Amino acid sequence: MSSQTKLDEELDLSKFFDNLWVAIVWDDPVNLMNYVTYVFIKLFNFSKEKAHKLMMQVHTEGKAVVASGTREEMERAVQQLHEHGLWATLQRDDHGRV
Amino acid sequence: MGEFKGSSAKGDLSVALSNDELHILINLVEQLLELLGERNFIHHYQSDDPFAQLMAASIGNLEARIEQPEDPVLNRLLPNAYADPESAAEFRKYTESSLRLVKQTHLMYLRQQLVFPVDHELPKADIAVTDPTQWLIAINDLRLALAVRLGVKNDSFEEYEGMKDADPQKPLFAVYFWLGGIQESLISHL
Repeated sequence: MSSQTKLDEELDLSKFFDNLWVAIVWDDPVNLMNYVTYVFIKLFNFSKEKAHKLMMQVHTEGKAVVASGTREEMERAVQQLHEHGLWATLQRDDHGRV
Repeated sequence: MGEFKGSSAKGDLSVALSNDELHILINLVEQLLELLGERNFIHHYQSDDPFAQLMAASIGNLEARIEQPEDPVLNRLLPNAYADPESAAEFRKYTESSLRLVKQTHLMYLRQQLVFPVDHELPKADIAVTDPTQWLIAINDLRLALAVRLGVKNDSFEEYEGMKDADPQKPLFAVYFWLGGIQESLISHL
């Protein structure tokens, strides 16, 4: 293996970005705004301001990224959101790509 | 009625409910428990008991049979975690039964709190809320279930206000919005 190949492998950032996943909460007409804010604070330890801002983003834009991390972490986050009745999915973070 | 008093921080949170309200709530809780209980049997095969595991193995891979629910209420309460159907199915295989169990646990707790005054034939209930989080999540699941059945949209309150009294859906909408009021009241007392 030449040193250049080795360097290229070390610089292969795609492996790093492949590990970035996000949890997305989608808007629905049922969950109360106060309740969604409460769940964000409870699950993610957000400040009241941050939780409120994300809740408003869900409400006005239809969705919001509420967490990012490894696939396993996001699966756990989505499972917890489902336990609380929020509509959530996880996916690869496509915005993080260069 | 359906108003919370006290606060969870002080440990004196309670809710006053009439007999009619208790019966409506118990009825809804039991209907949803029944719906969620559809795959209850699976839990019996998830124990560490060697005999149970042997049984599971002889019957086949029960987990593999877990598919996206056909009932729209279950589909909303146990939604897909991935947009891609293959990943969603794989995730569901390993998580759906525990999600069901969590929801059943909240509903069973709420049911237990609600049936006490009924069993003791109290004229009205003043229930000490021992676990407000479980109340909150269970009430939310009831609202989600009703909303799916009623086809609730963003403008449903206006729709409800314009409904004729003879409309068979009107009482259900009334219950749905009443539950929303209970939930708001509970959140404001947390």
